[in-house]
Amino acid sequence: MPTNKLYEGVSDWLQSAVETLSAAGMTVIAPTQGEPGVVNLTRVTSAEAIAERYDNTLLPLKGQFFPITETLLEFERCEDGDVEIQTEPLPAPDEVIVLGCRPCDAAAMGTMDKVFQWDYDDVRYRARRDRATLVAFACTTPSPECFCTSVGGSPHGDEGSDVLVFGLGGDDSGGRVLLKVNTDKGRQFIDRLGDRVRPASEGVQPPSPPELARRFDTDAVKAWLDEGFDSDFWQQMALSCLGCGACSFLCPTCHCFDIVDEATWNRGQRRRNWDCCSFSLFTLHASGHNPRPEQFSRCRQRIMHKFKYFPERFGRIACVGCGRCIRACAAGRSLAEVLTEVDARQKG
Amino acid sequence: MSPEASTAQSLAQTAAEMLSQGQVALVIGYAPTEGKRLSPPVFVTTPEEAQRLGFDSRCFGNLSVYLWSPQVRQMGKTAVVVKGCDVRAVNVLLRENVIKREDIVLIGVRCGGVGDLPAHKCTVCDCRDPQGCDVVVGDAVDQPDGAAEGRYSAAEALEEKSLDERREFWQRQLDKCIRCYACRQVCPLCYCKRCIVEKSTPQWVETSAHPRGNLSWNVVRAFHLAGRCVGCGECERVCPMNIPLGAINQKMAKLMEDEYDFRSGMSPEEKAPFTTFSTDDTDEGIL
Repeated sequence: MPTNKLYEGVSDWLQSAVETLSAAGMTVIAPTQGEPGVVNLTRVTSAEAIAERYDNTLLPLKGQFFPITETLLEFERCEDGDVEIQTEPLPAPDEVIVLGCRPCDAAAMGTMDKVFQWDYDDVRYRARRDRATLVAFACTTPSPECFCTSVGGSPHGDEGSDVLVFGLGGDDSGGRVLLKVNTDKGRQFIDRLGDRVRPASEGVQPPSPPELARRFDTDAVKAWLDEGFDSDFWQQMALSCLGCGACSFLCPTCHCFDIVDEATWNRGQRRRNWDCCSFSLFTLHASGHNPRPEQFSRCRQRIMHKFKYFPERFGRIACVGCGRCIRACAAGRSLAEVLTEVDARQKG
Repeated sequence: MSPEASTAQSLAQTAAEMLSQGQVALVIGYAPTEGKRLSPPVFVTTPEEAQRLGFDSRCFGNLSVYLWSPQVRQMGKTAVVVKGCDVRAVNVLLRENVIKREDIVLIGVRCGGVGDLPAHKCTVCDCRDPQGCDVVVGDAVDQPDGAAEGRYSAAEALEEKSLDERREFWQRQLDKCIRCYACRQVCPLCYCKRCIVEKSTPQWVETSAHPRGNLSWNVVRAFHLAGRCVGCGECERVCPMNIPLGAINQKMAKLMEDEYDFRSGMSPEEKAPFTTFSTDDTDEGIL
């Protein structure tokens, strides 16, 4: 069967989808507004809860597959002195439908997949990925901080999503839509929706993506980074960085983690938690030596990793231009501005 | 010339003079930028760059946080642009011997409040005219009327709730914490070289973003700031998860004012209740 096929959804397709999928025992995750102005992915059982107009979710999609904290195993010291270890069971294989992530977040999963299925097959991550279908809602109004088009993406980007949904009535999701099937998983999703979707009439095409000017050229950025490790640029650019983890934790592609044991007297858990290369402790050795002793070396690492090391190892940039780091920065720093300056230096 | 433009001119002139006369090696101020939701900090080392300095209602940052940064310190004597509320944090840094007055130059800027809808601290501000600075720029501004009444309104709103309601409220709020430590990093008074949450032998505070770890972290941070926090509100502003940290700080500040008649950071000479010993103390204390 060919993929990339277009379907039209009638105006109540979303309500029907949530009901049908929930009734079939699937977990439906969708963007909902919990507090005023804050949209996040949460479990829904009714389409009424789904946020209709939003730029993007506050937290990125990655947390659905790589949770902020997860138990890996539990341990307990028995009375005879032995230690009993119980590995945490794998996530249940119940199907999960993410109904309404943004194309940038779906694209980011391609980066995450590379890491978690590279030299070590992370079974916990894979179990969550395998069971999930990603239905992305195309962006109609990129926020001022968005820069997906500068890093190879698009407000209507296909990458990573099983189905991409375009609103036809102007709304993101409420009215009539066009659904573009990208994968077999996407086809299965369409099949489950029954008569609420039907093959699109001939000649129907997705709307054009909203304009979003490219701000820098990643090849030029990479070329400058190749030679720029020792540049004094880093000291200048990093002065305002306060060293918190907001940019990394909100980033859909940042994937570093820390493994900690948390125990009371006789029992405890080993957990995996999000970590961040902006923290001074990230590279601190037990000896006291820190190979990245100053904030500028940590800021440099974050950019080098995303735009040089990661592309060299995996053939893709570890940034999708979602703009969350810019929105979240306490000091008003902008990754897009930094890269625009790097680009200018290269072309200088 | 608009008040903003004239303040910007004064700032640029003052900074350029200080730099060209060698009084300071660095001026930290704000660079208001078209289209930005906040005027970002700028680090100026030449008289020419001083033209970038300015001041507007998007100058949220409390720049005193940079005064003890190792990178900034190694650049030499530093001047910093401070609002009246930021001066209070500087006063605590002076009182706690984190910085020396002779190592810094304070460029005060009169402030009519920050934010489109003024931040809570601005509606109850009683320090729009910065005190104790080496130079003060900007047109005179009016103090809000009746500032003292609403000072602790967020804390008082929570005091109205029952214990169960409060527990439920804080559980819900602290569950959102992602442990990015933006609150700590933006705080001028969180200057510990190694924060207790980073001490791992033993691990005093769990680093996992689960309810227990999040409660521990936020309570520990509150305790460490009790009697010290000056209410600059930066932690709440930068929290990416919108946790109302200001209410915690207000509660502590209210207790300090009620119990000790003390407001932190009003002067660099002040004696902080928790770090001052007196044989004449009439209270029994804990010993």
